[in-house]
Amino acid sequence: MANETRSSLGGDATAERSLRGKVSHLRELLRPFIRVLRANPLTLVGFILVVIISVTAVLVALVPVITQLVLGHPILLTPYDPNGISTDYSQGPSLKHLLGTDKLGLDIFSRVLTALPLDLAIGVGIAGFALLAGGGLGLVAGYWDKPRTIGGAISAVILRVTDVFLAFPSLVLALAIAASLGRGTVPSMLAVLLTWWPYYVRLTRGEVLAVKHRPYVVAARAAGVSEVRILFRHVLRNLIEPLLVYYTLDIGTVIITFSTISFVGIGVPLEVSEWGTMVEAYEQLLLTHPWTVLAPGAAIFITVLAFSLFGDGLRDILDPRSRRTLVQAVAPTTLPGQVAVSAEA
Amino acid sequence: MVEPVLEVQDLSVEYEAGTGTFHALTGVSVRLDPGRVVGIVGETGSGKSTLAHAIPRLLPEPPARIVSGRIAFRGVDVLDLPKWKLPLLRGTGIGMIFQEPINSLNPAYRIFDQVAEAVAVRKLRDAGEAPTLFPAPEPHDYSKGTTVKTGEALLHPIATTLPRRRSRARREALMQDVLDYLKLVRINDPETILDLYPHELSGGMRQRIMIAMALSAKPSLLIADEPTSALDITIQAQVLTLMKELMEEVQTSILFISHDLGIIAEMADEVGVLYAGHLVEFGPVEEVFANPRHPYTKLLLRSVPAQYKEDGPLPALSGSVPSLADVPRGCPFHPRCPLARDACTRDPGPMLEPAKDTSVRTHLSACYYSDEVGRMT
Amino acid sequence: MGRNRSDLIVFVGKRLLQLIPVVLGVIVITFFFTHVATQNPCAVWAGAHATADQVQACIVRFGLDRPLTDQFWRYLTTLLSGDWGANPRGGVPVLLSISSAFPATLELVLASLFIMTVLGIPLGVIAANGAGRWADHLVRVFYLSGWATPTYLGAVVLAIAVGPAIGLPTKGDFASTPPFARLTHMSVLDALLALDFPAAGDALLHLILPASALALLNLGIATRMTRTSMLEVLPLDFVKTARMKGLSDFVVLYKHALRNALISTVTILGITAGVLLSGTVVIETIFQWPGIGAYAYDAIKGYNFPGTIAVVIVFAIAVVISNLLSDVLYGILDPRVEWR
Repeated sequence: MANETRSSLGGDATAERSLRGKVSHLRELLRPFIRVLRANPLTLVGFILVVIISVTAVLVALVPVITQLVLGHPILLTPYDPNGISTDYSQGPSLKHLLGTDKLGLDIFSRVLTALPLDLAIGVGIAGFALLAGGGLGLVAGYWDKPRTIGGAISAVILRVTDVFLAFPSLVLALAIAASLGRGTVPSMLAVLLTWWPYYVRLTRGEVLAVKHRPYVVAARAAGVSEVRILFRHVLRNLIEPLLVYYTLDIGTVIITFSTISFVGIGVPLEVSEWGTMVEAYEQLLLTHPWTVLAPGAAIFITVLAFSLFGDGLRDILDPRSRRTLVQAVAPTTLPGQVAVSAEA
Repeated sequence: MVEPVLEVQDLSVEYEAGTGTFHALTGVSVRLDPGRVVGIVGETGSGKSTLAHAIPRLLPEPPARIVSGRIAFRGVDVLDLPKWKLPLLRGTGIGMIFQEPINSLNPAYRIFDQVAEAVAVRKLRDAGEAPTLFPAPEPHDYSKGTTVKTGEALLHPIATTLPRRRSRARREALMQDVLDYLKLVRINDPETILDLYPHELSGGMRQRIMIAMALSAKPSLLIADEPTSALDITIQAQVLTLMKELMEEVQTSILFISHDLGIIAEMADEVGVLYAGHLVEFGPVEEVFANPRHPYTKLLLRSVPAQYKEDGPLPALSGSVPSLADVPRGCPFHPRCPLARDACTRDPGPMLEPAKDTSVRTHLSACYYSDEVGRMT
Repeated sequence: MGRNRSDLIVFVGKRLLQLIPVVLGVIVITFFFTHVATQNPCAVWAGAHATADQVQACIVRFGLDRPLTDQFWRYLTTLLSGDWGANPRGGVPVLLSISSAFPATLELVLASLFIMTVLGIPLGVIAANGAGRWADHLVRVFYLSGWATPTYLGAVVLAIAVGPAIGLPTKGDFASTPPFARLTHMSVLDALLALDFPAAGDALLHLILPASALALLNLGIATRMTRTSMLEVLPLDFVKTARMKGLSDFVVLYKHALRNALISTVTILGITAGVLLSGTVVIETIFQWPGIGAYAYDAIKGYNFPGTIAVVIVFAIAVVISNLLSDVLYGILDPRVEWR
């Protein structure tokens, strides 16, 4: 039987350009993602939780606003007004108050739910800004760093400043900035943002440096491909994966840091529902009325755990090394000792 | 009839990868008698590395799966052994040397420590201080019992103990053996390299040390998985010469895996040809290479660029080796075979049986038309 | 060869020199943030019942009405002359506070590192060995749970609920002020030096909860890195060689694989130091451990500017030195690396 040597240039090209081709192409891309999700139950749990939490947060935040605009009066998704004092003091969890009440009669469940959009938005937003700012700076510092050029000088400045910021333990710096900027939601957001951007600089720069000298980039440059094209096609594409993983894990860390600032007492004002302030307010009641402390604590725990499970699993999915380990058996692999340049925590 | 050192019967191994199931080995049977060298030749993707790793059970079990078959080493059923007994099988029982000498030695430890470790294991077992499956000191003395009773093995500590401290006394006790084995592999002045790290030595040197380490355990069976493929050609020649000389001096049976027909021709007594996970031919090496009785073997031999012929293009085989996830039905070679007929496409494919049209009884071929191979052009 | 003792000394020396501009930068930034406080710190320093005149006097006394650069210059010169200032509220010299607080934190951090190593690394090995199976998942849930718990929550739960439940002390480093002189300000060490073994035991008991809190919440760093590193090392050929020598699984995993995996793991020592030091701020405050974490907490909240800057300097030096240490360890563990 003769061999079939089929050229893939002719007939398949038109198929690819059609919509059906695009959809199946997308499905091909997603297939490994879906397969690993199914194989990795923890990551799936994390993913589902993330979706649930995000949707809830969006609803809790937007429904009052939208109903206000449309109907004239807001409809709260929380069972009670989070700031509504009632006469049900210090009750344990019950059907009437799902997570109990505190000594002023405030419904804990409503408070926890109201705090969700704030804390989640802080996590996603601040980490996102840090990603963009730090990532941009890191890209510059990594890519245009030839000495004795303008780019080199800028890179050097970026690196020195980043090194200084990285010498601070993150919480200490965030607390110091927050204290100096005064109490309030926006100042503490700023404090976290100013603390966070340097980590993305270091991460991005590390990845850029690793990619810059790879053979295929050098080959592209030698073939005359423009720098901009190299940047977008090769460098950025390699950046997306580690940055995405780091970002997902970072959301949790940012939420924790922000709530710590509130816990210490220099964060959001008391009337704003926030998980950290709640823990601090009810701290001494742990033994007598545990639900007051444990409810916001559990809320943080579950939220951060969800993002961590998802991000941690994402790391396993996207890291070609760990994917390969699950398949290879007997073929010799890379040389030992080529330690990961971006050895992140 | 002497009991074979190694008997593989109808071994089938599969890999579960995300994209499909790879049939790395299908119904492979090999027999290795004491003191003999059996070569396994095959291209990349033929499954020869899988075979090498399956025998001492080095395959990682989750992706790999031994579907069926039996592996018997000196009468002991390897596949039946519990996991904790596997270390007892290796070292003094089965030894192995690998392809890339850079990776095969631990980069964090000095040469002396690594070779001494192998020597220490053997000495502990010889002295009875560590459990072993084969208490007989001489590998080929089958007059004594070969298997330790389970109860006896359980009485000894499971972990093989090692020199606890790098004490002076220990070092001296092992030093002589280490030097002896390094000299055995023709390293002159082995004292000079004892304190060096693997990355400070050349590839050829590292491979010799690997051989020394493997031999210092005095294994009954040595599996060599492409030991010279990663070396420069001159170093390759040196290491091969060394191995040939050692085969005279040391009474170890060898299973030699390679893709290089020339090396197999030099080193092996018998050869098995692997194609797409199937053993398609087996027999004495001179016989198989002079009178191949399987189309694949014949075409493979013909495609070796032996001389710089002026007449026309190199006679390469048409097509390419099938992916192990997609092995053709019936005879795996039939899509590329000039002798292929209807019978070849039907499951099950041809089995290894004595080749037709040859006087050598031990020459086996898995082809229905092995008598026509001689007349193939 | 770039690996002998003199190379190491040159390497360390170079890195210590680089420390200086970093510390300078740290001082500048901290000074900037503390002195642009929107609130008038004198309102806090002078006390809640101070009159306007007293506040004004406070401002003049501390030079807060001078231009910022002027204030900075004055501060820098005093700092370099050895005077680290004093807490504006109360007047306790900063250097005195820090010199007794820092060793206590060092003791706490070392104890936590010990727990993280002894517990976290074997867990990483177990997870890597059983990659993708239940052991791996279990370990992952364990360390991610620690990671997902905010330090303050974990500390509160441990200090208020768990500690009293299992009978471990939760306040301070000794049950009562010890009778012997504090030579090093590290509780266990001081007790041992004074040959007061009951006190040493007491100190050890007091150390357990805060150190465990710090370690368990951050275990993930060590475990995760060890797991990743082991997954890279386990498929390599020398692991197979080790197995084929007839060595037991335990020896192969720990003596051969982990030894190489640790090379990568050690690189996170610097990050770990930063995270642990951050953690001490909350942990020491809740467990009333007399370290610089608690000092930092009070200094930041109480607008103790010289104190804040001094603490931040100490933290920064500690982080930089940990990074240096991790590089040195890396060079020691990997015989192929040269110190440059």
